[in-house]
Amino acid sequence: MADTDARTVREQWGSRFGFLMAMMGAMVGAGNIWRLPYITGENGGGAFLLAYILLLFVIAVPGLMAESVLGRFTNQGVIGSFRSVFGRGRAEGLGLVVVLVNVALMSYYAPIIGWTIYYAANSLLLRFSQPGFASEAFWNAFSSSPALTVGMHTLAMGLVGGVLLFGVKDGIERVVKWMIPLLVLALAAVAAVGLTLEGAMEGLAFAFTPEWAALTRGSTWITALGQALFSTGLGWGIALTFGSYLSKNDDVPLGAGLFTAVGNTSVGLLAIFAVFPLVFAFGLEPSEGSQLTFVTLPQVFPQMPAGPFWAIAFFVGFLFATISTGLAVTEVAVTTVEEETRLGRSGAVGATVGVIWLLGVPSAISSEVFGTMDFMFGNFGLPLATLLIVLTVGWKVGPERIRVLALNRNSDVHIGRWWNPVIKYAIPAIMSFIIVYYVITNVASSFARTAGGLALMAGLLIVAVIAMETLRGGGEPTETDTIAGDD
Amino acid sequence: MIEMSDVVLVLSATGWVTMVGTIVLLWGVAAWTLYRSLSDEDRKLELIDEQGEIDTYSPGALAELREWVQSNPEDPLAEEGKERYNDCVGVLRRVDETFYDWSESEIESLEKL
Repeated sequence: MADTDARTVREQWGSRFGFLMAMMGAMVGAGNIWRLPYITGENGGGAFLLAYILLLFVIAVPGLMAESVLGRFTNQGVIGSFRSVFGRGRAEGLGLVVVLVNVALMSYYAPIIGWTIYYAANSLLLRFSQPGFASEAFWNAFSSSPALTVGMHTLAMGLVGGVLLFGVKDGIERVVKWMIPLLVLALAAVAAVGLTLEGAMEGLAFAFTPEWAALTRGSTWITALGQALFSTGLGWGIALTFGSYLSKNDDVPLGAGLFTAVGNTSVGLLAIFAVFPLVFAFGLEPSEGSQLTFVTLPQVFPQMPAGPFWAIAFFVGFLFATISTGLAVTEVAVTTVEEETRLGRSGAVGATVGVIWLLGVPSAISSEVFGTMDFMFGNFGLPLATLLIVLTVGWKVGPERIRVLALNRNSDVHIGRWWNPVIKYAIPAIMSFIIVYYVITNVASSFARTAGGLALMAGLLIVAVIAMETLRGGGEPTETDTIAGDD
Repeated sequence: MIEMSDVVLVLSATGWVTMVGTIVLLWGVAAWTLYRSLSDEDRKLELIDEQGEIDTYSPGALAELREWVQSNPEDPLAEEGKERYNDCVGVLRRVDETFYDWSESEIESLEKL
């Protein structure tokens, strides 16, 4: 375990491959598999993909570079990075907001990991190919049983905590180094067999046939923006935290920026090839979310030759996707708790996992609580966290300073001055626009939840800032704080 | 099993082009970045094993760093920028083999700040 030396020597990734797989695993989650295929087909197919890829390269890649390089430069977690930039006190509260959003996110993501554990286990028990298996009844029986959903949620947090106890290098890296390649292989295998089925190409036609008119609709671009920003995990504190464990000789732009964003989306593309040929080959309705994964697909596998094997490949791969994201989201809080309190690694893991487990129980039991949490933190919490991190790099640290000092240091590709306006103006403007857009589009249909979400985020911001001011007192950056100032 | 003629009928020519283009843009770029990142890391480790240190900035990046330090002498990070610049110049003069594409004349023309 990493307790003994955590205070004196900061851990580092053991290998480049481990870091890259950790970053990719962090960003590849349920959304890549159960959302991207459907929204692609529903929003203009190939035209949507082109819009999405354009935004990925223009916004997500530079944004991930900014977040990762901030962590690498400060060598600290989220709160420590804000302290390095702004000094002790109030502004550390901004970092606390990012951590709390991660904790809230993980509290309702852990039950999803629990669902994937349950389905992976049942695929291994060959349950889906048993005579008389009814996927909808099976899902309803599972999701309406608090004992099962809370049990799986507990198991999920136990697994995440068990891995995190071993630290970044011996825990996360050791696990994702084989988990992510296996996920890719599993999806590739399911895709390969799916493409041989009669009618499979209709699925590809649904996903890839471009409807160019879709590019003239604002909703297409909004959906593409949301997917490009949320599926890459930009501004959640993950890239910052993982970047803080890089060594001084490591590159940031190519690995943490380009590979993470494109690798993550590549798995989404693989999911399109894996899911839609199957759905269309068996004449089922394409859908998104848990309905696709836990109701539609379990109907498909028993009808395929060697179906149980493909069910195992898909559901175990899906489990790897969700658990690698869970490890990363939880690590954001663990790193911060370890740095900001007197707790060692074990204590930080225990405290963080315990709090997340407790907060996650209502989401595990009630789909309404789950939906409300997702609505509030997905629509408002995550954009707020992204905005805080990107504004910090863009307007406080200064993109030109960090670019010439840190981003291009030991980098595998040179990042030019074009990067500065993207970080300073484009991403903050887009994130602000997305928040306003979500408010406007949701306020009429669900006023209470929208107002509640906004009030919750405002309250979170105020309480976190006051709490850190009270705990730490104000002050300019000290000698150990490194990057006060601006371009 | 599906016949090739069925495939062509279902997926239009633009659909094929989009699909192949997406594959190249995503899987192609992902594979290239993975390969490049891992091979650069191997090269860095090899040079560190042989020489104990490596140059930290490319010619373009070091020129930008110099320009920034000289244009922002009052910046709180100017001193750190200067140290990083001088460290890199020192390494370039000491090592036999550089990681970045430096020519002898470029290295000789460098002056510490």
